[in-house]
Amino acid sequence: MTGIPEHNFAGRCALVLHRSEDAIRRVVERCERLGVHATGRLRELDATDVEAAHVVIFDIDSGHDAALPWTPGDAPVPSIGLVGSESPGRLGWALGQNVDAFLPLSALGNLFSALVIAHATFARRSAMARERAEIARQRAGRLDVIRAVIALMADGRDEALALKQLRTMAMIGQTTLEDAARALLSARTGRREEGR
Amino acid sequence: MAYRLGLIFSTTGSYAALGRSALAGALGAIEQTRRAGGIGIEPVIRDPGGDPALYEAQTAELLDAGVRNIIGAITSWSRKDMIPVLERKGGLLWYPCPYEGFECNDHVVYLGAAPNHHVVPAIDWIAAQGMSRAYLVGSNYVWGWETLRLARERLQAHGIEVAGERFVPLGSTEHGHVIDEIRAACPDCVVNSLIGPSSVSFVRGLGARDPDRRGRPGHLVSFNQTEADLDELGPYADGLLSAGGFFAEDASPELRAVARTHAPNGRVSAFLATAHAAVELFAAAVARAGTDTPHAVFRATCDAPVATALGDIRIDPVMRHAALAPRLALAGEGRFHVIDRAAAPVAADPYLSHQTVPHIDRPPALRIVT
Repeated sequence: MTGIPEHNFAGRCALVLHRSEDAIRRVVERCERLGVHATGRLRELDATDVEAAHVVIFDIDSGHDAALPWTPGDAPVPSIGLVGSESPGRLGWALGQNVDAFLPLSALGNLFSALVIAHATFARRSAMARERAEIARQRAGRLDVIRAVIALMADGRDEALALKQLRTMAMIGQTTLEDAARALLSARTGRREEGR
Repeated sequence: MAYRLGLIFSTTGSYAALGRSALAGALGAIEQTRRAGGIGIEPVIRDPGGDPALYEAQTAELLDAGVRNIIGAITSWSRKDMIPVLERKGGLLWYPCPYEGFECNDHVVYLGAAPNHHVVPAIDWIAAQGMSRAYLVGSNYVWGWETLRLARERLQAHGIEVAGERFVPLGSTEHGHVIDEIRAACPDCVVNSLIGPSSVSFVRGLGARDPDRRGRPGHLVSFNQTEADLDELGPYADGLLSAGGFFAEDASPELRAVARTHAPNGRVSAFLATAHAAVELFAAAVARAGTDTPHAVFRATCDAPVATALGDIRIDPVMRHAALAPRLALAGEGRFHVIDRAAAPVAADPYLSHQTVPHIDRPPALRIVT
């Protein structure tokens, strides 16, 4: 990443999950100094709370999947793991949750860094997930592309010319090759049905 | 019983004037505390000579010798070198200098002006004067990078064009090309975040080559220029706008006496006043806590405001910064004249989380095109 990352979080809402009221108080007061309105929870987060939050901050020492209302590793907002003990098992659980940033409880003065890193990591992770979904969608459309090329070849073109025509159709329609292929096949199927 | 207090200031080297001013304030306050019947304080003085590596070594030496509280560091570089040692050995640094913000360490008490005390009011003043073009120049390290980044963002938020931005190596006094560029760009103001000899040679060089500038208030802007080294700029400082938590004009007779007795140049500055206040805060906290253990001292210093050379100072127990009343001052005839001062102390906002850009009615930025 280059340039200045997102770094002003004033007006955002944070959810803080920790078994200790004192730890929650310390995190909440730090958040407030950064303009972030934070709310504490002692046992678990519920989905409605998370929907209204912009960032979640949770204890790694006592964290478990059932306390978090999302598919493990798929938090809907940036997440920060509070590190108490540094046992590999606990860190492993946090890594499995795809925690975006880590903040030692002994260094809460670095909350700002954790917020910046969590937001940047979450944005990058979300962009990668979108890219992966797009690649999967393209892969799923490969067979349609082949079918569309074969359909166009039936009009007397060779395969290179048929593919070129399909690309032109996608460009004119401002759509992907796969969507153009699906549209072509659907139109031809419709015409065949009308002709019966 | 005397409590030992480390004083680590570079009183030799490239920014010695600032270190000497701060040391003078601290020594004056120790003497005043003793005369007033307060706690006994034994100063343990070290001079890193402006060498960044020595700050770390001298901090370790003092903490190993049983010193638990240190007033010192001038540059952010030196502070950041001291912090890991303070963390390892459990010491507390009382930092008396303006800095660029974006830090909140559990082993530091930040007493100098934060960016909402200097960058924000200075740039807002520039905007209110109707200036439309600015040029930024700074030393190539964290103070220069961050203060100019904040200045650039706020200038642009006000619709002021940034005509150029240059960073020069620390200690460099070769500014010919920067001054050429400034003269070609004709900015209304130059924001100067150079430090030490770089700043002195730049201000003198710019003033000598472009003498008409000096008649325009605010043609030069600084976020850390004080009386400690104002004399070095000579008449070239005339019209310079500085922002900070304190200027000599607000000094009490007692503080002026401290400067006359202890400061080599005999002048009050923000460095002198803030280091003085640091000792007053330390003394009050130790008296309240009955110990100089950093944790207890810090808690005690946050309990209630303390009357100091800077006025009543309150420390935020979470962010560990002092609330200060920001002031703007224009240099003229070798001194600063305060032109604006906040009515009450303003909490430090080191991450600029609570700032909005005020709307200032400005004339349209029209230029004659030939």
